[in-house]
Amino acid sequence: MLDFLAKHRIRILAGAALLGAIVFYSLNLKQKEEANAFERAVITITSPIVGAFALVDDFFTSTWENYIYLVNVEKENRKLRESIKILNKRVIENHEAALDNQRLKKLMDMREKLQEPCIAASVINEDSSPWFRTITIDRGSADGISEGMPVIATGGVVGRVAKVAGGSSRVLLLTDHASGIAAVIQRSRARGVVKGKGGNGCALEFSQRGEDVQTGDVVLTSGIGGVFPKGLPIGEVSMVKKGEYGIFQTVDIRPFVYIPRLEEVLVVLRKTD
Amino acid sequence: MTVRIKIILLITLSFVLQMAFFPAHFADPFKPNLLIMFIVYMGFRESVLWGATGSFLLGLLQDSLSGMYFGLNSFSFLLIFIVLKAVSHRLYTDSRVLMVLGAFLASICNGFLNLLMLAVFSLAPGMYSTVLSVIIPQSMVNALIAYLVFSIVPLGKREEIP
Repeated sequence: MLDFLAKHRIRILAGAALLGAIVFYSLNLKQKEEANAFERAVITITSPIVGAFALVDDFFTSTWENYIYLVNVEKENRKLRESIKILNKRVIENHEAALDNQRLKKLMDMREKLQEPCIAASVINEDSSPWFRTITIDRGSADGISEGMPVIATGGVVGRVAKVAGGSSRVLLLTDHASGIAAVIQRSRARGVVKGKGGNGCALEFSQRGEDVQTGDVVLTSGIGGVFPKGLPIGEVSMVKKGEYGIFQTVDIRPFVYIPRLEEVLVVLRKTD
Repeated sequence: MTVRIKIILLITLSFVLQMAFFPAHFADPFKPNLLIMFIVYMGFRESVLWGATGSFLLGLLQDSLSGMYFGLNSFSFLLIFIVLKAVSHRLYTDSRVLMVLGAFLASICNGFLNLLMLAVFSLAPGMYSTVLSVIIPQSMVNALIAYLVFSIVPLGKREEIP
């Protein structure tokens, strides 16, 4: 017997220990809602240490989050801001490209309708004097442009080329006092000459009092004189005034092309005398 | 650097600003004419030969890049220079106020001279309405800019010019 115990001592002790542990556990199950003396003692002793550790841990955690982590956040913020800037720039560029595309498409439509050789040009400058109405375009004699050629935009007539240099030209706008375009009222076929009035307006001159001209009528180029192709839109009649005396009536015209916002134009490559 | 070189640099800068910058950023009645300022300066300070040549050339420059009428402003500028030169010996020409007043009056004279020339020699019958509506605002802007320029840039005394 003693030999057996000696031989299996460790196993028997291990089994007894496990059994004792199970018994201890089962006995404590009844008081599981209450801390026993041992538990209370351990909690009492360890709680200040745990509290101190928690404070230290909090300190390092907050330090990490508030300072070291914020350094990364700041970097990240900077990167994000840069990204936002780049994306905003791309959005603006895309929007601009879409608008350019829209305008150029209209210009191309106009070009196809014309059935005459044309060259597209960009407006690069306006007249420096408030008295005259001219613009400078980025095409010149090197591109086949010569004086007198008609210039149009998506809305209609812009003016005609007045002075040509190698790589740029000056365009006399239809609103300049020196400009005159033979025109016809689309509805009644009444004729006249569209003269510039300065500012952004024009007038139909030499239109006789008896001619049928009404507010809202569309004014087109008549083609007389050979400078402008026939049928190009110029503007619409904004005011008609017939005096009691005189041969002619006063007709104001609002051009279809809004000159201050003009960016691209078409120069019709037709030779004029 | 001599006063003449300073003036030439200033004129070049003004010309570039007037032709490239102002048309894009200033509304119509308020587009300044900086060259007028130099006509006034030359009328009060420069010799007849230099001043007359300079005025005429400045007018040609202006006409090359504005409007349809080559020679219009060169005539007006030259005439303004001659008038200013004729009265300059009676005036205290070192005064900044005189320069500003000169720029204002020269701008108005330039407007009326151009209008007269256009009325006589060209077919622009409605031109007077445009010129008359812009002449006062433009003259005031010119005077304001003349005040700023002559305040900031010391153009030197008469004795410095050889």
